[in-house]
Amino acid sequence: MTSVRIGIDTGGTFTDLIAFDATDGTVTSLKVASTPTAPLRAFLGAIEASGVAPDDIAFLVHGTTVATNTMIQRAGARVGFICTAGHEDIPYIQRVNRQFLYDLTWNKPRPLLVSRRDCFGVAERIGADGEILTPLSAEAIDDLCDRLAANGELEALAVCLLFSYLRTDHEQALAEALRERFPELPLSVSHEVAPIWREYERSSTVIADAYVKPLMQTYVASLAGGLADADIDVNWAMMKSNGGLMNATAAADHPIHLAMSGPAGGAVAGRHVAGLLDLENVVTIDVGGTSADVALILGGEVGYTTSYEVEWGIPAAIPLMDIHTVGAGGGSIAWVNAGGFLQVGPQSAGADPGPICYGAGGQQVTLTDANLVLGHLDPDYFCGGTMRLDEGLAHRGAAEMAAGLDMSPQELAHAIVEIADENMANAIRMVSIDRGHDPRHFALLAFGGAGPLHGAAVARKLHIPTLVVPPFPGSFSALGLLLGDLRVDKLWTQSFRSDRVGPAEVAERFATIARAATEELRAQGFEGECELRYAINMRYLGQNYETEVEVPPIDALDTSGAAEQLERAYQAFGDRHRAMYEYVIADAVIEMISFRVSAIGAIPHPHLARVQPTAGHLETSRQVHFGAGGLVDCRVLHRRAMPIDEVLEGPLIISEEGSTTLLEPGMRVRRSAEDVLIVEVGA
Amino acid sequence: MTALLSSPESPPGAADLAVDQVTLTVIDNYLATTCREMGVAMMRTAYSPMFNEALDFSCVLFDAAGRMIAQAEFCPSQIGTIKFTIEWMLDELGPDVYRPGDVIVMNDPYRGSGHIPEHTLLKAVFHGDEIVGFVANCAHLAEPGAKAPGGLAGDATDIFQEGLRLPPLWLQREGVPQEDIWKLIFANHRTPKVTYGDLMAMVGSLNVAERRLTSLLDSYGYETVTTATDDLIGIAERRMSEEIRRIPDGVYRFSDIIEDDGVAEGSYLVDCTVVVDGGEVTCDFTGSSGQAAGPMNGTYAVTASSVYNAFMHITDPTIPRNEGCYRPINVIAPRGTIVNCEFPAPLVGGNTELSPRITDIIFGALADALPERIPASHGGTVCCFLFGGRHPDTGDLYSHFHFEGVGWGGRPFADGDSQVIVIIGNARNTPVEIFETRYPVRVDSYRLLEDSGGPGLNRGGLGVERILTMVVDEVTVSALFNRMLVDPFGIGGGKPGANSGIYVRLAGEESWSTFKEKFGTMSPSKFSNILLHRGDQVKILAPGGGGWGDPLERSADRVLADVAEGLVSAVGAARDYGLDIERRGGRWEATPTPERVAAGSGTLADRDRRYAGPPEIVEVSP
Repeated sequence: MTSVRIGIDTGGTFTDLIAFDATDGTVTSLKVASTPTAPLRAFLGAIEASGVAPDDIAFLVHGTTVATNTMIQRAGARVGFICTAGHEDIPYIQRVNRQFLYDLTWNKPRPLLVSRRDCFGVAERIGADGEILTPLSAEAIDDLCDRLAANGELEALAVCLLFSYLRTDHEQALAEALRERFPELPLSVSHEVAPIWREYERSSTVIADAYVKPLMQTYVASLAGGLADADIDVNWAMMKSNGGLMNATAAADHPIHLAMSGPAGGAVAGRHVAGLLDLENVVTIDVGGTSADVALILGGEVGYTTSYEVEWGIPAAIPLMDIHTVGAGGGSIAWVNAGGFLQVGPQSAGADPGPICYGAGGQQVTLTDANLVLGHLDPDYFCGGTMRLDEGLAHRGAAEMAAGLDMSPQELAHAIVEIADENMANAIRMVSIDRGHDPRHFALLAFGGAGPLHGAAVARKLHIPTLVVPPFPGSFSALGLLLGDLRVDKLWTQSFRSDRVGPAEVAERFATIARAATEELRAQGFEGECELRYAINMRYLGQNYETEVEVPPIDALDTSGAAEQLERAYQAFGDRHRAMYEYVIADAVIEMISFRVSAIGAIPHPHLARVQPTAGHLETSRQVHFGAGGLVDCRVLHRRAMPIDEVLEGPLIISEEGSTTLLEPGMRVRRSAEDVLIVEVGA
Repeated sequence: MTALLSSPESPPGAADLAVDQVTLTVIDNYLATTCREMGVAMMRTAYSPMFNEALDFSCVLFDAAGRMIAQAEFCPSQIGTIKFTIEWMLDELGPDVYRPGDVIVMNDPYRGSGHIPEHTLLKAVFHGDEIVGFVANCAHLAEPGAKAPGGLAGDATDIFQEGLRLPPLWLQREGVPQEDIWKLIFANHRTPKVTYGDLMAMVGSLNVAERRLTSLLDSYGYETVTTATDDLIGIAERRMSEEIRRIPDGVYRFSDIIEDDGVAEGSYLVDCTVVVDGGEVTCDFTGSSGQAAGPMNGTYAVTASSVYNAFMHITDPTIPRNEGCYRPINVIAPRGTIVNCEFPAPLVGGNTELSPRITDIIFGALADALPERIPASHGGTVCCFLFGGRHPDTGDLYSHFHFEGVGWGGRPFADGDSQVIVIIGNARNTPVEIFETRYPVRVDSYRLLEDSGGPGLNRGGLGVERILTMVVDEVTVSALFNRMLVDPFGIGGGKPGANSGIYVRLAGEESWSTFKEKFGTMSPSKFSNILLHRGDQVKILAPGGGGWGDPLERSADRVLADVAEGLVSAVGAARDYGLDIERRGGRWEATPTPERVAAGSGTLADRDRRYAGPPEIVEVSP
């Protein structure tokens, strides 16, 4: 009986699994320690621990940080970079700006290349109108191949020719020749990976893709082998940075799309819960061990961006869910800067040694230690009691640091929590207020091990009226893996001016892209009905940055209708411009820069079942410090013991296996039938 | 929480704070974030690549008294001068003239602006009926209506040739655009549409800042915010003063040469005596040459801004960046000299070329006092290359200000970075694909220049070579470079970085010439309005950074790594580092030359860090 869908989210510290059984709607969640040196072990170990029989597994989705970590740790392949002759230094010259002002110790980031000698020019040139200025000759290709062969140490190849986003002939010809001559070397080609203008950003992206490709191919093959050995014969997929699913083998061929695979799961799950509750506008915050990931759901949808960076100055311009990350998590370290200012993060104690209270040798006070000192966390029920926290150690550490600052340990702990809350609130301001969205019109959805602990305070700071804590907050990202759909995003760059283009041309452009996107989705084995979504990146003629505007399908055959749709799209662009910058340029020519079609293949999703409360014996109380409220005797309730649809008052701590929800005095909470906690934060 | 924090060694800044520490941190971060967001708004909506690709602009917040309270990672030279710009504007306009929705523009260098292309926009922020602060931004407009397309005429002889001067004028009153002012500006700029798009981007950015500042006041109240900003200014002043106190008291002196000014024969001395006395420093430029006939002059604001910039770089980067930072730093610049020119002297290059030189001079002066921090000279020129004409595709006039990154100087602890924007700015290069889409000029090659980094124990960063081809019948070009004749200096036995250069090769010609040779310009690096034609080429060389320490002491491994990477040639390794390099069986190997052997184990201690004095000026041929 193949009825179980499994999501496995491999993070740096824990591997989370969610299993959903379609026959009875049961959802199982569990956590096992990650095994970074042999990820397969934790991956299979989690499946085994879930008790799901191999034959029962219908579908498996995996989210992973392998691609990200490979880049961050600089552990990828030695890439040969191939570009238009005369421009070999693109990856080294970069954009020439500096990350910080006034810092003579700053070093320009190194590209994901081993040596400048690994950059190879090829004689060819396409111009700004897409015209061929210098044809790519067979001799030039041979000469390039000879130089590549002479290098002898390359493990992957990346190609980025100037203006290839306008005209792909040369890149295609070159790719064909390289595949023939170097069949053993994984190859990434810029017009396929990221057909965007700006040669540095495109080069950096295609290099990153090649950089992680050999490793991701090995990784996917190893998981596939492991699944086969475990007699799990199942179609499986990976979650891309854009929240869409991709057949695993296809994913290994376009690995840069997996850069934000992990956090994307959380945003997808957030979108799902928002839909469940009929919430149009939601800010999601996923607080883990080292970072907080923030995303915005507007009108029920998560925004998209292309501004991912491996590190500052090393971009990978792939479509990804617009998730803003700040270094604020349970492991964030408290420190005092040269001016005597208390700071929290972005450095993290990670999982090893971790916070002081882990008792694994950590010496620096972290946010988790501060929460423990204040009584926010239960030392005996961390990770559902699988890990014990040492209160004494945390107290001693906080007392030591506090003494140097002339404070009490509780004052210090409170200041640490307060600053971390503020850092999280700032991350939300960056994606909301700064883009013209008032957080007061949003709900805050908090998850991740530490999200529900800080959610209420963050919401209060931002005057967000409602906090939502979803079911399984500690493994919510894994749940998200089961809530994604197969998705192919195709972005084509070709500029059209509003004064020179007709709806027919736009419609034709869209039709071509839609065909390509649908074909790719079919190639991944999807047989159902494709949903197609269209968007145009627009700007005023003369501006250099585009704003993406979703448009309805434009039908070439219905000319008057198409013209109207296009006019409405221009109008929508103007509205967004005004909302963000408080002005529009009347009568200006609008330039359409690129066209995106997303082909979405819907797959069955788990339904979060209606829950029944279990016995009320899971209730205790403990002394908890609240900011201004001082020490309070606080009720501690297990989530399972919460009544449905009944309003409870703070102060209140709601504990569960993967997380802890903290309600300040005066806040009110209700547990819905879908097992969602809805907190009224108050003014 | 009321306890105030102080670190174990009790640095200044913790005492006498009226607002608690957490609130201070929050407000400081909030203000800096606001500045960044203003920048994003400008970038996303502006028209010229100067704005949206290069990001040659700065966004700054002021309190109601006109004191700078926040800035972010923008162009240091603009941040330094905007303080003077805003002081001047508020002073000249007086109180009670601002209404909500007013936007005021100003670009006059003789009123505290850096140079004419840089336009400052100012908006008062109201909370209720009260002015609670000012938001301002300053940006380099690609086309200021000078004698040459793109401004920056290298041979301007007075300010009137450098563009349209705007005293403080209302662009917008209570939200309503002032048509007459806009018309005046449009009539005087070659590319009015771009000017409009860029100025509107600046207005949009002020709107963003106004919204954020208002929201901060809504959350915390006027009292708390102003008390916090007072505290932050006090903290910045005390911490900067404490940093200066850590520099050994003494009198330090350094000078360098501005090679020419594009108008007259001869070079100019910039001489600075730095007096460190406890928690205060005075930089005295008495002894510098009289003002230049050409546009290499700086105003007092430019000179002071350059000095501030130098001190920001050699002090703790975590000091809050506001008005307080500048207070312990005094600048003396006699009137009528190249560092404080008098109306109507031309000065457009002072802001781009004199400014980085002054920063390097301060570094040079303090090299002995702060041996662990001070780098060798960076390339120190913006390599301003201006061009314009009529674009065949649009029929409109266009103009562009193009510049290059440079090599940075070797540091006591590391090599200098290659190709980073000059120290006065934080602009980005314009991608080739955008450059060619916008302008009828093709980039044939753009690459790092082997051996251009000044040899040293820690090598200077590399410069770049860019070759451009004109692809239309007529393009009018101008240039304002420096360091073409005078080397970027090394420190402590480090050798100079390679010079800058600008050369021309007309269609059909074999070899490169200077513009002086080909067109008889007074200077090879500073000229305006040379007409080039289809197929003509321009070669730009951006300079390398100076080396730090004796190159003969650089380890063979590091030299080999440079050779393997193509940063240093085998010839350069032998000449500068005393290592004969050979490739044997796929590996690079080094043998010391007799010179390196003779140098033996030279120690760090006996290095002579003094700059050898003004260099000889020699004519350069390509």
